Amino acid sequence: MELTASVLDMDWADVETKLVRFIKDYVKKTGLNGIVLGLSGGIDSCTAAALSAKAIGGKNVLGLMLPEEETRSAEDIEHAKLVAKKFKLKTEVCDITPALEAIYGSIPVFDPSEKVCKGNVKARVRMVCWYYFANKLNRIVCGSSDKSETMMGYFTKWGDVAADIHPLMDLYKTQVRKLAQHMGVPEAIVKKPSTPALWLGQTAENELGVKYEQLDLVLYGLERFMKTEEISDQLRVNKETVRKIKNRWLAAEHKRRPLLTAKLEYRTIGTDFRLRRG
Amino acid sequence: MKTRFRVALAQTESTAADKEANMATMKTAVTQAKKQGASLVIFPELSLTGYVVRDQIYELAEQIPGPSIRVMEKVARDANVHIVFGMPELSEKTQATVYNVSVLVGPKGCIGKYRKMYLPTHSVFEEKRYFRPGYLPAAFDTDLGKIGLIICYDIFFPEVSRLTRLAGAQLIVCISASPAVRKAFFETLTAARAIENTAFLAYVNLVGIEDGLQFWGGSRLIGPQGKIQALAKCDEPDMVFGEVDYADIRPVETFVPTLRDLRPELFEKLKEGAEKL
Repeated sequence: MELTASVLDMDWADVETKLVRFIKDYVKKTGLNGIVLGLSGGIDSCTAAALSAKAIGGKNVLGLMLPEEETRSAEDIEHAKLVAKKFKLKTEVCDITPALEAIYGSIPVFDPSEKVCKGNVKARVRMVCWYYFANKLNRIVCGSSDKSETMMGYFTKWGDVAADIHPLMDLYKTQVRKLAQHMGVPEAIVKKPSTPALWLGQTAENELGVKYEQLDLVLYGLERFMKTEEISDQLRVNKETVRKIKNRWLAAEHKRRPLLTAKLEYRTIGTDFRLRRG
Repeated sequence: MKTRFRVALAQTESTAADKEANMATMKTAVTQAKKQGASLVIFPELSLTGYVVRDQIYELAEQIPGPSIRVMEKVARDANVHIVFGMPELSEKTQATVYNVSVLVGPKGCIGKYRKMYLPTHSVFEEKRYFRPGYLPAAFDTDLGKIGLIICYDIFFPEVSRLTRLAGAQLIVCISASPAVRKAFFETLTAARAIENTAFLAYVNLVGIEDGLQFWGGSRLIGPQGKIQALAKCDEPDMVFGEVDYADIRPVETFVPTLRDLRPELFEKLKEGAEKL
């Protein structure tokens, strides 16, 4: 197998059809009233919003914009509004700054310089807001995590990845961009550097230490059981980089499969109960 | 015995773990198929229960004959048709040994069953966790000629279809629950099995989404020359009809005489090779 950008090509019309069907079917089977999603103005949330609107109609999709003082971006809000207008979504803006300050203030050992701890509070407060609206409106929460982030564990446990469905989770970031382009998500959003917006100036590629174009091909190779050496040789990336990506992917399984207990009894939650999702 | 008859490929969506609802769906489809002149109506794999039922399989499985077979026998009797459908069979000798089965019922009752031999347990599939494999091919004498039964992943193993053909089946019925990512494989293999066995092959696949898995449909009747004679839509419930005329087999059997040219001694080699793999 040759690892070139073309291996990530898909029939985007077909992908859109399948994902729209997936969302529509899930909402229908749950019998709930619609979808709530975080609408940050980034590529993933805008694409998830576009798919949701196509699946069940924009009037049944609520995009939540949750700015906070430190990372507030006029551009992101503008992009979120642009997508909301284009796909006819309902939106709501909740400034979560007071909630965050209240939490920081209630933790005696809170240290503002620990930016990961602090940033994860933001991701989890956003999740709290999504589920508040989901409960209030009797809706599901649609997540927007992609495969690159999820494989790398580049998300907050119980935070941004908390959702009822994840339509984009089998698409790498570069594939999400192509799907977004196909669906008419504005170009400025497609080309914008991705960020979880946990602190100012944070970008995904800087933190991951590799460009998505390269990361996605490494992950694609790992997904297909290619050896580290093969991937490294083919992509002309040094072996250590590939090894680091692989280790990070493996080490993050605890974030993707979170219900773990010690095996004591006949059927155990998280390991032997194998039930279908209703 | 009819040598020419109409087949209905009933590409249905199942309701997970709801046998009553699925039997109602099958009954409606049979009534509709009968009105269109069908003598044989075929439903997808595990159409009685849905494909993704996981641990619920133990409570859903039934012995054969059992209550659901009785219902489907009545449906066949009332409509005077033959029906093939899928269900989990509970072994009569144990309490939790289950087979993935294709059942053939006719106007006079249950004709036979086939226990799936090849159980996929890779990727999204976990069939060996729940099912015991079958060991016998199945081809049954009916008023519609000899009908062979296979199930989904069996089609990747030519020996299963070949055994039903060698037992005399001129129509091979393959019921399936194939997710969309495997579409291209089935499009090729269904035609290949028909051609290499010079037999009709009716492939009926599930549609709908079960636990995130999207089944692609695309059910088809393939003639012994490999030509698609009836084709259902992809991704949505559909019912299409095709004609089986066993007289069509003779010219193909003379044009590409695969059965005449079989080399039994090679099967010994195949066995040796497989044992040493």
